[in-house]
Amino acid sequence: MSADYAHLCSAIVEQCFGKVSQSVSDCLFSATTRTLSQIASATKLSRKEVGLALSVLINFRLVNFEATKLNPFVPEYSLSRQDILCLLRYPRYIHMVQKKYGSIGASIAEELISAGSDTASATLIKCLSEEDTRADSAESYRNIFLQMITDHYIIKRPELILSDEQDEVLPKFESNECDYFRHPNVDLQLIEKIRRGEATLAEAGDSNMIWNVNYDRFHQDFRDAIMIDAIERKLGENASECFRFILKIMYKTTDPWQRKLSNQITFVDIKQTIEKKSNNLDLMKHLDQYITLLTDDSLGFLRRVGDMGGGLYVVDMEHAFQSLAFACIESVITERFGSKAARIFRVIRFKKFIEQEDLQKEAMIPAKEAKSLAYNLFQDQFIHVKAIKKAGGGGNGLAKSFYLFQIKEKDSVRMLLDVCYKSLYNTIERSNFEKNEHTGLIDKSLRLDCIVETMKERGESDEYIAEIVETFTPPEVEILNKVKNRIKTLSKAELTMDQTIFLLQMYQHHCTILPTGIGKYK
Amino acid sequence: MAAEVAQLLLAVIQGIPAGATNDDLTKALSDVSAATRVEGLNILLQQGGIEILKKGEKLVYRAKDPEKKSALPKDADNEEKIVYGIVEEGSNKGIWIRDIRMKSNLNMTQLNKILKNLETKKLIKAVKSVNASKKKVYMLYNLEPDRSITGGAWYQDQDFEVEFVDVLNQQCLRFLQMKRENAEKKRDGPLALKQMSCCTVSDVHKFISDLGISKVNLDEDDLETILKTVVYDGNAERIMQQDGSYVYRAVNLPLPPTGLVQMPCGICPVIKNCSNCGDVTAIKCQYMKEWLD
Repeated sequence: MSADYAHLCSAIVEQCFGKVSQSVSDCLFSATTRTLSQIASATKLSRKEVGLALSVLINFRLVNFEATKLNPFVPEYSLSRQDILCLLRYPRYIHMVQKKYGSIGASIAEELISAGSDTASATLIKCLSEEDTRADSAESYRNIFLQMITDHYIIKRPELILSDEQDEVLPKFESNECDYFRHPNVDLQLIEKIRRGEATLAEAGDSNMIWNVNYDRFHQDFRDAIMIDAIERKLGENASECFRFILKIMYKTTDPWQRKLSNQITFVDIKQTIEKKSNNLDLMKHLDQYITLLTDDSLGFLRRVGDMGGGLYVVDMEHAFQSLAFACIESVITERFGSKAARIFRVIRFKKFIEQEDLQKEAMIPAKEAKSLAYNLFQDQFIHVKAIKKAGGGGNGLAKSFYLFQIKEKDSVRMLLDVCYKSLYNTIERSNFEKNEHTGLIDKSLRLDCIVETMKERGESDEYIAEIVETFTPPEVEILNKVKNRIKTLSKAELTMDQTIFLLQMYQHHCTILPTGIGKYK
Repeated sequence: MAAEVAQLLLAVIQGIPAGATNDDLTKALSDVSAATRVEGLNILLQQGGIEILKKGEKLVYRAKDPEKKSALPKDADNEEKIVYGIVEEGSNKGIWIRDIRMKSNLNMTQLNKILKNLETKKLIKAVKSVNASKKKVYMLYNLEPDRSITGGAWYQDQDFEVEFVDVLNQQCLRFLQMKRENAEKKRDGPLALKQMSCCTVSDVHKFISDLGISKVNLDEDDLETILKTVVYDGNAERIMQQDGSYVYRAVNLPLPPTGLVQMPCGICPVIKNCSNCGDVTAIKCQYMKEWLD
């Protein structure tokens, strides 16, 4: 957690939940846990405001609470810092659901995401009351909701334990791992009644089962997509299809977030699965060759570990994300310092430790240029220097030391992640700034659109409408379009930037032992 | 008398290539007295026909190569001879002036004078080393400098030829890619494709020599270094064969340009200074402004 990440989180929370929540989350970010009164005094907000902000954040699973050790009646709040970034990924989540389950799924995900967490019935009612989705039946909505639970895209929050003792201030929850994806009973008739206004939501039987989207299930898909795309770029379509099946088989026996290696997979297993599910003849014919190709490749996604069952393989997540993170760093270096610098970086990576003079010889770059590039890389912490001091010297002659370039990949990745956080923060700041600069203009255009809309509904003449539209002068239109374009570019940059962040976070999960907060269940 | 003895002695010494000891000489020329022998040896030493070496405790006399001797003119004085000898030892690797001074024990001014003298007589030459442009090394005039001094094919008068290397790099890559494309056209399964897109160094060497882009003669080692730069550029892979040799093959990068570099912050040179206050902020940023407009 760096200062850059703290700024970014603060900006994201402000954007999503407003100023009050922002100061509460800032206060929690800087501490492990805080009680309500501590937050109130630190932020100088009233207890009521703080309580409200906390409830919103708890609803979105950003804040957790438990009893303090000293006093079981006072809850302490803590922020799940890693999850704040997920708020920016919402468009990606919805897009993915859209691809997988169609528009019904997308609208369910959208409702669930905007509510933070909700019961099944309430979500379905909200979806059904949307105007453009009336064509689909309530049943299809329910089925897809249940399917998403089965596929782990939606997860149940721990259930509240109702107890009769009134003196317990803190609610207690029961969390049971086998219970996370149990289907709720959704009473379609009741939903219909509620929609007609004949019943209220309180009557629904599933009010104690609250659901929200399971970020890590989405992340699992994102991760798979990165790996499969990389293979497709390097080894072609068939190999990537083969790897997709391998991942599918892997998930049967392996926790998707196991850090380093997957459990073993046999060749027979892969062959049977592909013969059953794929109709790619070329892949079936040359399956053994494609697997050899995958194991021999320098990316190192797949590794052969034994001969049982026609060959025993493991998916090497650590090696895979190491290669990918390096590719990512190299791409940044190429863009920032040019391809010669990337060459230098790779030379150091292959040689592990290398002296300045050998470096320029190996990279075939003139001494001066090589020196300046290497020092630039060093200055921006892409590469590091290890000094080896020769003992002695003791007055007669210089004590010679050797300066060797090396790459500390974990440090480089962390540095790059911080740059990403900072850049992301910058895009948010900039787009807020652009919005604030032109608030008057944006408001005016919104008002105008509103007026035109109502006029059209009333059936006013086109000429009259055109006259009203013209009150928006051409220079104003031009500026407005410019601003809109800027904001669009910025939000697009936000999304692409997040892909880099995601890749580097996956590196941290699979190649280090840092706590990343990623797991099958939260 | 002494001159005759000297000729006899020389004949004996030349007969023993490893060098004759005093005992050898007394045995071969038993009728010559010790005093005359010494006189004869002194004459030979003065003429530069033999040299004295120390082998353990004993002195050994050895004949000098007459050809080498002839390179130095007769009027050369002792200092010149010594310096010349030291430079000669350096062979085609050359010897640094500091080392000459250490070995000869001459002072700087004198040494400089002698070196200059020898240079004007075209007996030795000074060669600039590519590793340190200010470091001059001396070697005999008729020698071709070693690769470590001139830098091999990549240097022209101590200057590294960037364009030449770049052109070769591109051509090698083009060749590897061509090979890969040809392999992709044939549909013989993935492993065959991989095998066919691999090239050995000699394949590339043949291609480059046939192209005729190089004025200098490049050998396979030279091309191996070029191929390595293609690998370091991320455009190719170096694969070890079972017999320990390497083959090269063009590959694609596994990732598209990453998202970070698609906005100015990813390539910003002052991102370290960027913050909420001060001169570098997201709102005042010039790069951002240019990018958005």
